[in-house]
Amino acid sequence: MDGFSQKEEQRLLKTLQQESDNLGLVERRKFLKNAMVMVGAGAVVAQTGSVIASSNLPPAVPSWSRKLGDGVLTNPYGLPSDYEKDTIRRTVGWLTPDRISSISMTPLHKLKGIITPNGLAFERYHGGLPDINPDEHRLIIHGLVERPLIFTMDELKRFPSVSEIKFLECPANGGMEWKAPQMEGLQFTHGMLSCCEWTGVRLSTLLDAVGVKPEGKWILAEGADGSGMTRSIPMEKALDDAIIVYAQNGEALRKEQGYPIRLMNPGWEGNTCIKWLRRLEIGDKPWYQREETSKYTDLMPDGRARKFSFVQECNSVITSPSPEVPLKVKGWYEIEGIAWSGKGKIKGVDISLDGGVSWRPAPLKGMIISKCLTRFSYMYNWQGEPLLLQSRAWDETGYVQPTFKQLRAERGGNSIYHRNAIHTWKVHSNGSVQNAQLS
Amino acid sequence: MRNSLNFLATNPCCQMSDNKKMNSIKLVFVCLAALLVGCNQSNTEQPADTEKTAIKVIESGATVQTGLPSHYPIGHSVSAEVIAGWDIEIRPDGLGLPEGVGSVEDGEALYEEKCSMCHGSFGEGEEQWPKLAGGQGSLEEARPEKTVGSFWPYASTLWDYINRAMPFPAPQSLEPDEVYAITAYVLSLNEIVDDEFVLTKENFATIEMPNKDGFYVDDRPDTNNQRCMQDCKDPASIKVVLGPEYSLGKKTNDKVEASTETTVASSEQQAKETYESVCKVCHAAGIANAPKLGNKEDWTERLKQGTQAIYNNALNGLNGMPAKGGRSDLSDDAVKSAVDYMLTTLE
Ligand code: HEC
Ligand code: HEC
Repeated sequence: MDGFSQKEEQRLLKTLQQESDNLGLVERRKFLKNAMVMVGAGAVVAQTGSVIASSNLPPAVPSWSRKLGDGVLTNPYGLPSDYEKDTIRRTVGWLTPDRISSISMTPLHKLKGIITPNGLAFERYHGGLPDINPDEHRLIIHGLVERPLIFTMDELKRFPSVSEIKFLECPANGGMEWKAPQMEGLQFTHGMLSCCEWTGVRLSTLLDAVGVKPEGKWILAEGADGSGMTRSIPMEKALDDAIIVYAQNGEALRKEQGYPIRLMNPGWEGNTCIKWLRRLEIGDKPWYQREETSKYTDLMPDGRARKFSFVQECNSVITSPSPEVPLKVKGWYEIEGIAWSGKGKIKGVDISLDGGVSWRPAPLKGMIISKCLTRFSYMYNWQGEPLLLQSRAWDETGYVQPTFKQLRAERGGNSIYHRNAIHTWKVHSNGSVQNAQLS
Repeated sequence: MRNSLNFLATNPCCQMSDNKKMNSIKLVFVCLAALLVGCNQSNTEQPADTEKTAIKVIESGATVQTGLPSHYPIGHSVSAEVIAGWDIEIRPDGLGLPEGVGSVEDGEALYEEKCSMCHGSFGEGEEQWPKLAGGQGSLEEARPEKTVGSFWPYASTLWDYINRAMPFPAPQSLEPDEVYAITAYVLSLNEIVDDEFVLTKENFATIEMPNKDGFYVDDRPDTNNQRCMQDCKDPASIKVVLGPEYSLGKKTNDKVEASTETTVASSEQQAKETYESVCKVCHAAGIANAPKLGNKEDWTERLKQGTQAIYNNALNGLNGMPAKGGRSDLSDDAVKSAVDYMLTTLE
């Protein structure tokens, strides 16, 4: 069937089948006969992607208008439309030897606004996804404190709570692209990123409860998963804006995100936001755990490595068009994307159509929240010319997202983490979009 | 009143600024204004977000909430014994190490049995599993090899990590003496200690790692890009390096795979999925003498007991084989079809 991907073909056949189910026998034969001719001819997709001669298009009355649908509670927990089955997390098989310690990425090209739906937030496990009974889960806070305490989940929920929309990003986001543009789509170049409303109790509130001794300068956060994930967190961050989170976008934290509780350090490496949190120990020095020595340190060209590189610096990417969202016809388009900074609010985003020769400001839209995804948008009338599309964000500290060249000059090609370079999409004259780097 | 103020405090319009000095009256005003006109936040400085500020608002409002404690007495005190069960981390100065002793010699045997199938007999790493040795002097090279010997700054990290997370299929299963011994052995693979070495709590702090001075605290920002708007570079100087063409949905691509099945997978595919995600970690390499996939020899004796007995052992566990491979959430049928899949590879 020319012109169709296998998926489209299956979907079309399913639609035809559904439609024919609603017809009488004679009608049905006629309909299917016509439909098969139509499919066989292979010329059924108009520029807009819709099926010509569908009996669901005007002036015909669609099948769903002529019957009743399913009742309430068909899905007690609602699911996306069957037509959105492509909106899923994906992984890159060769990245890790096994899926138990691995990562999957958010389909950024499918998302609108700034909130990542809970089922689409990227996953990162070092020891697989634990299944924790909240009644049997505890948080212990001890070490250099006046009153070591143990909390049940119910007890944690009695403290005053806060709800904040913050992005969460794996510091390895984009890390496969230090040497060359390796990944084929946005989901893989930038998808280790999500943004949710997180609800929980401020870590500072809990630290008040245990009474931190003056020598207490660092906190070891530890997970209850099979990797026993640990990171050393400086006290200043804990007292500033860290949250012990139990809810995500209004519902209980998802298992993948650390159910029943996780640490959230807004703007910092996702890895510091320990999931399945079971223990916080207050100490006077960092512990130099595996995840802050062997991993999550940034190797520099001189062979030394940066440690405690916590902050996710200002970054941005155009989500549409993108390899997953090509331009289909000539005409007006919204060039749209997201920007974020671990140091505060996005101040502005500039976009370039010519690979960075000239730039123009792209208006920000929607809410602008500190350490949160921010949308930018630029209307453009595309007439089939090739483009080198880029976005360049800057934040309220005045920091401007660097070019890839500038990053490479400072860090070489082996630092893995924190690759926040200006990203390039090559738009071909046929409207297809390809990952690119400029040298 | 409390509720509506809570709403103000959690309303995203009202929590965007880190400017904690803004006074509470202004907070109420801006929040109310935001409620009235909607969230148009792209231009104005936003007020503070601390709940303490919100409480001040409450205090200055009609309904005064007084008597909030300096800290909330919620939670239970916890004894040293209870903490000790979870308090497992080790610091570079040795703080946290339990009593114990382990020799390189003992470590070698343990490592062969529990670690070598993934990390290689010499720490060279089988297939894609991490290398544990080698790479010294490579950190400045184009392809640096970061291993325990070439990169790790402290031996305590090795003890700590093996104890908490390894062997991968059975974390927190080793006794302290075993961890001392295996740690000593991995250090010897990296030529940091000699073959006669015996590691103890007492001599731990004497171990110096080759790359101990190789780290410095984050000094970013390290770039200083400017917002050039016009004629920022010579268009002729631009060289474009293209990545792979986007192919997902156009053709199957072996590199990129969906992390969850979208279409209803055939039951055989599902069985393979279960095997890959749950069983492979032990049955590919034969960890703890698990019968290897596709290896007839490993299975011959076992097959004699009949399929039902094999199913039962996979469901209920057998020595090193955890019930359902450790995944109690799997249905019996899912485990059985994974067993079927494993058995078909013998045909
Ligand atoms: C089934 C395979 C497997 C076995 C068996 C295994 N490991 Fe590992 N090991 C891994 C994986 C996978 C990782 C990386 C985990 C992650 O991604 O966080 C790892 C990581 C490590 C690391 C950290 C490497 C680094 O550079 O950061 C050390 C050290 C280690 N293992 C030691 C051991 C020891 C000692 C044993 C035996 C007691 C053992 N492992 C058994 C799979 C295995
Ligand atoms: C943690 C490692 C581990 C995992 C994970 C694991 N196995 Fe095993 N398995 C073993 C070991 C070890 C044995 C050998 C037990 C023995 O005979 O002492 C074994 C044996 C078996 C046997 C042979 C039983 C018999 O009667 O001889 C089957 C079948 C089996 N496993 C199936 C599975 C399936 C299916 C899964 C995934 C759902 C799985 N295993 C996951 C370690 C594992």
